[in-house]
Amino acid sequence: MTRQVQSLNLGGATAWILHRPHATVQSLSRQLGAIGLRVESAWPEPTADILAADFVFFDADMGYDEQFPWDRGHNPMPLIALIGSEAPGRIEWALSAGADAQLLKPIGDGGVYSALLIARATFGARQSLLAEVSHLNTRLNARQTVVQAVTLLVARGQSEKQAYEQLRQMAMAWRVTLEVAAERIVVSRAAGAPDICQGGGTDD
Amino acid sequence: MKKRTITLGLLYSRTGTYSLITEACRIGVMQAIAEVNADPDYDMCFRTIERDPGGNADAYGALCEELLQEDDVRHVFGCVTSWSRKEVIPVLEKTGGTLWYSVPYEGFEASDRVVYGHACPNQHLLPLMDWVFGQVGKRGYLTGSNYIWGWEMNRLAREVILARGGEVLGERYLPLGRVDVERVIEEIRVTRPNFVLNSLIGPSQYAFLEAYAALGREDPHFTAATCPVLSCNLTECELPAIPAGCTEGLVAAGPYFRGETGWPKAVTEFGSSHEAASWAAVHNLARLLNGIDDSEKMSLAELLEGPAAAQTGIDPVNHHKSLPSLIAQVENDRFVTRARYARRAGDPYLANGRDVGQPQSARLKVVK
Repeated sequence: MTRQVQSLNLGGATAWILHRPHATVQSLSRQLGAIGLRVESAWPEPTADILAADFVFFDADMGYDEQFPWDRGHNPMPLIALIGSEAPGRIEWALSAGADAQLLKPIGDGGVYSALLIARATFGARQSLLAEVSHLNTRLNARQTVVQAVTLLVARGQSEKQAYEQLRQMAMAWRVTLEVAAERIVVSRAAGAPDICQGGGTDD
Repeated sequence: MKKRTITLGLLYSRTGTYSLITEACRIGVMQAIAEVNADPDYDMCFRTIERDPGGNADAYGALCEELLQEDDVRHVFGCVTSWSRKEVIPVLEKTGGTLWYSVPYEGFEASDRVVYGHACPNQHLLPLMDWVFGQVGKRGYLTGSNYIWGWEMNRLAREVILARGGEVLGERYLPLGRVDVERVIEEIRVTRPNFVLNSLIGPSQYAFLEAYAALGREDPHFTAATCPVLSCNLTECELPAIPAGCTEGLVAAGPYFRGETGWPKAVTEFGSSHEAASWAAVHNLARLLNGIDDSEKMSLAELLEGPAAAQTGIDPVNHHKSLPSLIAQVENDRFVTRARYARRAGDPYLANGRDVGQPQSARLKVVK
């Protein structure tokens, strides 16, 4: 997987800062404003508007799970941890909360821009990995169905190789995945439906 | 008005490869200081303390700290490279000082302690690319010095060229100070681009321009009408270092070229945009300080909340100056303006996108 760091489209993005009123919030807001983002801050718990944020900065020192209106690890946007105490317990919590990048406190004059880009790239990479895993899991779960479908086709008097090839052809004709085609065959046989293997099926 | 004395720090390398640029900046600063000191409407006199890092980037941090701590200076004028600026910023943060930086740079920075008085890419590179695409085409060759200026300029140029459907035919860097430009010239000769974006600095740029002029004498494609050389960092102050005729047709972007009007209260015309921007920086500071008790002890952020801030054109959030964007071409060893894009706020992170609008009163011809 290539990670292209895009500098595009930060202008007009919204960042939320979950941190008690503090110089940290001021420095961070100043940098975010200079980069072109709109800034909201809240402590301890944000309004539901935070769900529309493009980035969320959270306090790793005093933060807790219930602050986030999403299930742990299912943050819908990149998260950046604001770390003061580098105690392993707090870092562990920040990671479990889903931190994609971090900034060390006190926040000085720099660091925010790279944290934004790194968080976005890390978040994007994780999202596409999760999508890939979900896709692979679906295919893995369908293994038994594929075997059943091939067996059904073999029962019509062809070799295993021919049956698999026919299944592949049907999937292509129906413009569905192999697993979906297999499921259709198995379901239609189980329901005693007419033999869909003869008719070519529909495009759906 | 009774005048108080305020000490300014100067942190310029007066020797080494940047000395032409440094001197241009320093001339602008000194002229403005003389004007402020002579002007009864200002309640201050500026005096200066200088430290000379001698072109050694690693010396800037320590010398800046000396100015800010031992000499109790709050405002420093200096640095002409991104490298030295980045060395100085941690010191400014620690001591609460302000750096007035008045040369073009590559953007992606907005320190709370720096005023960026010259152009960043939405003020130089983007208008220049827009202009050259309309004049000669979108097939470009990119070269630059092997450090942050060259890298970032070429990265953005590549992005803009590809987004507009153009093509990058080659990209090559030269280490700082190196003059072996043969390979770059050879690649340009073979790929025959519509333009060469040159972000080389110092002797590397001088050597390149000389070699490119020679290539143009061999093959007329490599002349301004069909393949101009572009720059966002070359100004009048460096022309004396380049053999006569070798810059002819070069197209540069900048907020000022000699002879331009529109800069406020210029007593004489400036030698270059480096001089103009440095001159303006001192006047901006004088305005921010003027008429406020103890203003010499205030931070930049506090000064920019004052009543005079809006007149300076310094953005109170990102500290970049609003500047004109001019495209000029060398004709008989001086820059002649070809196009003017509207004055624009500095947008160091390109938060407002890449669109530069139309040039205003353009004399759209490329002169050989």
